[in-house]
Amino acid sequence: MRRNWRSASLFAYSGAILAFLYLPLVILALYSFNASRINAVWSGFTLDWYNSLFHNRRVIEALINSLVIASISTLVSTVLGTTAAIALNRYQYKYKAVINGLLYLPILIPEIVMGLSLLVLFSQASLPLGKTTLILAHITFCVSFVVITVGARLEGMRHDLEEAASDLYATPWQTFRYITFPLALPGIIAGALIAFTLSIDDFIISFFVAGPNSTTLPLYIYAMVKRGISPEINALSTLMMCATISLVIIAQILQPQHTSKKND
Amino acid sequence: MKQKSGKYLVFPTIIWLSFFFIIPLLIVIAVSFASRTPYGQVIFNFQLGNYARFLEPLYLRIFIDTIFVAVVTTVLTFVMGYPLAYTIAKLPKKWQQPGLILVMAPFWINFLIRSYAWVIILRTQGVLNTILLKLGLIQQPLALLYNDAAVLLGMVYALLPFMVLPIYVAIEQLDTRLLEAASDLGAKPFTAFRKITLPLTMPGVAAGSILVFISSLGMFVVPDVMGGAKSALVGNLIQNQFLSARDWPFGSALSIILAILSLVLIILYYKVLQAKEGGASDAQKLA
Amino acid sequence: MKKIVSLALSLLLGSTLLLAGCGGSSGGKANTQPQTLNLFSWADNFDPEVLAEFEKKYNCKINYDVFANNEELLAKIQAGGARYDIIQPSDYMVGTMIKLDLLEKLNKKNIPNLTNLNTSLQAPAYDPTGDYSSIYTWGVTGIAYNKKYVKVAPTSWEDLWNEEYKGRVILLNDNREIIGMALKKDGFSNNATDPRQLAKAVDDLKELAPLVMAYDTDTIKQKFIAEEAWIGTMWSGDASFAYKDNKNIGFVVPKEGTTIWADTFAIPRGTKNKELAEKFINFMYEPKVSAKNYEYIGYNDPNEKAKQYHSEAFNNDPMLKIGAAHIDKGEWLIDIGEAITAYDKAWTELKTIK
Repeated sequence: MRRNWRSASLFAYSGAILAFLYLPLVILALYSFNASRINAVWSGFTLDWYNSLFHNRRVIEALINSLVIASISTLVSTVLGTTAAIALNRYQYKYKAVINGLLYLPILIPEIVMGLSLLVLFSQASLPLGKTTLILAHITFCVSFVVITVGARLEGMRHDLEEAASDLYATPWQTFRYITFPLALPGIIAGALIAFTLSIDDFIISFFVAGPNSTTLPLYIYAMVKRGISPEINALSTLMMCATISLVIIAQILQPQHTSKKND
Repeated sequence: MKQKSGKYLVFPTIIWLSFFFIIPLLIVIAVSFASRTPYGQVIFNFQLGNYARFLEPLYLRIFIDTIFVAVVTTVLTFVMGYPLAYTIAKLPKKWQQPGLILVMAPFWINFLIRSYAWVIILRTQGVLNTILLKLGLIQQPLALLYNDAAVLLGMVYALLPFMVLPIYVAIEQLDTRLLEAASDLGAKPFTAFRKITLPLTMPGVAAGSILVFISSLGMFVVPDVMGGAKSALVGNLIQNQFLSARDWPFGSALSIILAILSLVLIILYYKVLQAKEGGASDAQKLA
Repeated sequence: MKKIVSLALSLLLGSTLLLAGCGGSSGGKANTQPQTLNLFSWADNFDPEVLAEFEKKYNCKINYDVFANNEELLAKIQAGGARYDIIQPSDYMVGTMIKLDLLEKLNKKNIPNLTNLNTSLQAPAYDPTGDYSSIYTWGVTGIAYNKKYVKVAPTSWEDLWNEEYKGRVILLNDNREIIGMALKKDGFSNNATDPRQLAKAVDDLKELAPLVMAYDTDTIKQKFIAEEAWIGTMWSGDASFAYKDNKNIGFVVPKEGTTIWADTFAIPRGTKNKELAEKFINFMYEPKVSAKNYEYIGYNDPNEKAKQYHSEAFNNDPMLKIGAAHIDKGEWLIDIGEAITAYDKAWTELKTIK
């Protein structure tokens, strides 16, 4: 009985925190129907912003740029970060402290300094600024976050299964594929989620390494601030939110039942 | 022997970071010892003045304030993030990933407009004050914005996922048999949590705390939007050196100091954790 | 295991190269494709239809990228690498960029429409010969106030220092603007570098600090419209916006004088499309084009010949009129060189007052 009560209150507490996370989004969605151009006070209901959003070529381009850049950066930084975290967890290195330092440092350097110094690097290497430089920069600041998140998983992981596998003459690849990888997977997914989140909403570093024709959504939004962020952005955010949630639900429905059992 | 070749897996990342991070970092270090012209051009003549300036009471105070805010933010995100991560990790397998995505999805919406949404909620004529006034709970609207509490709220709101994800990752692999054993042996739930769950999930807590702590040190949008730009934190100070005072050398020096300081704090933090880890390794041995 | 490493590496390299290739290929078809004009400006600073008209008329494509503040623009142009053809720095930034040799001289022969502009704005203090920049829009800093809460219209900057407005005063989050405002109040130039004058202004601001609700540049309009703020410093262009949503908002330029600001057109060094850029500037100053464009963006139109094409509402906008009336009375901010360090430090000190 008491156990139920406890888990119910834990559930309620978590629900409250989730509500805290979504509360601003509700307001944001509400204001996407606001007639006023400036997001200040409620002045009447309208659907105009949704209509004008679909005709705003620049917003759509910025959204596509952001999604493309975030997807590629997430993929590459997750691969890099995961391999590094696994190697660091499994093997002893002479200069482990130095390697660890190198992996931690990028999150310690303020974004603006990283952005400017990357800009200097790219212009010295005469790499034209654009989507490529954006992706290179995003991968660079995401990698450390992936290493740390995956590392947290591996640190608490038991190695007996891996040892058993190699005792049974499994190749390192087989051990990795069938033992390490599935065990580390939640960490890898969490790392990828962090990388995606960082990349999709990065402004400072992106500003410095972006070039003509590579405006991302955050760049576009920050630049709008001077005139007042158009409710079109609220409309876009509302649609993005709805799309994410529907995708999650669809994926849940389509998910074959047996996989969940297998994971258990 | 074959096993050893896996060691090289760390190299792609190291090579990547050497090129895209170490080279830029060296530039920053060089600039931090340089001077500047009145128009902000950097002149390379070695000097320590930029580091000496940091010791002025004004800047020292800003560093201390910033660290204080970062510590409080870290503690608050832990208090909010741990139970949330725990709940997700204890959901049926099938619902864990959707749960995680639901927690992360708000963070894919631009941070600036989410912050402005908070302003709409909290301002004097805002949603919250209106509701409280209507309910008769208050007579005068409360000043909820443009103070330190609002800054903290913004920080926690911005950084919560960096605490939740690593902790989730650690809890998810927790061996529940340990908890059952503890409860069979008559341990109270809180004791079991303190002696077993918390120590075993410490790697996640540590990773989450570091990500939150470090990220909050560099924040500057939150103090501006939620705090009304009335408090100066290190993030704002550094930002100003690059985007208003045109003093790249001083800004670089401040960044290097900030990085070294956070590195020292992280090492200290790990030392403290290791000293306390006795419980965790005992528990692990039991398993 | 080595295979995996090399596979991972080659995948990585491959994907980056592929991307680089994609980036390059868009420029590769240059022979058949029209010219591109890379425009770097504030967001929402043009009527999209006007831009489309230009693209059509000159068979070119405009890449419109955006920045959020002048110093970001400077940092980016200084580091090189970005190839923009037209930029829109504000007044003092034009001065800085001229001194740093970052701007091309405009070929005025290609921009005959320059003569359409208000003569007071053709040779401003930051670019006295008008060789490097031409004005896009301008305004003045004044006091905005809400008539519901501020019963007597302010006349002096002094009126901000009023205990009655404690917690309701709002100041621009910009050290030059606000220290300049305090300097003006004390009867000095807003470009003062004399340490005593500066000290006096900063001491006054320290007294004002406890009354301040927030320092804000970007969302100051919203704070006035929502009636969070009662009184504060504001740009005339923003005042005109705020007034449209809340008719209680008044705007005055204090008697001590004020700061005048402008956004401009300029061409950064190293552009490959200088002529097209000049054609663009000229096009924007066509009377009919500029009437359409400024109606859209809602800022002051410097084009004297466009007046007849503007709507009644635009020509009679009270806030824009105030801006126009003060062209000769305002003082431009100019680059103050080394003194910016003192300004920045004073500003940081102000922010640490609780």
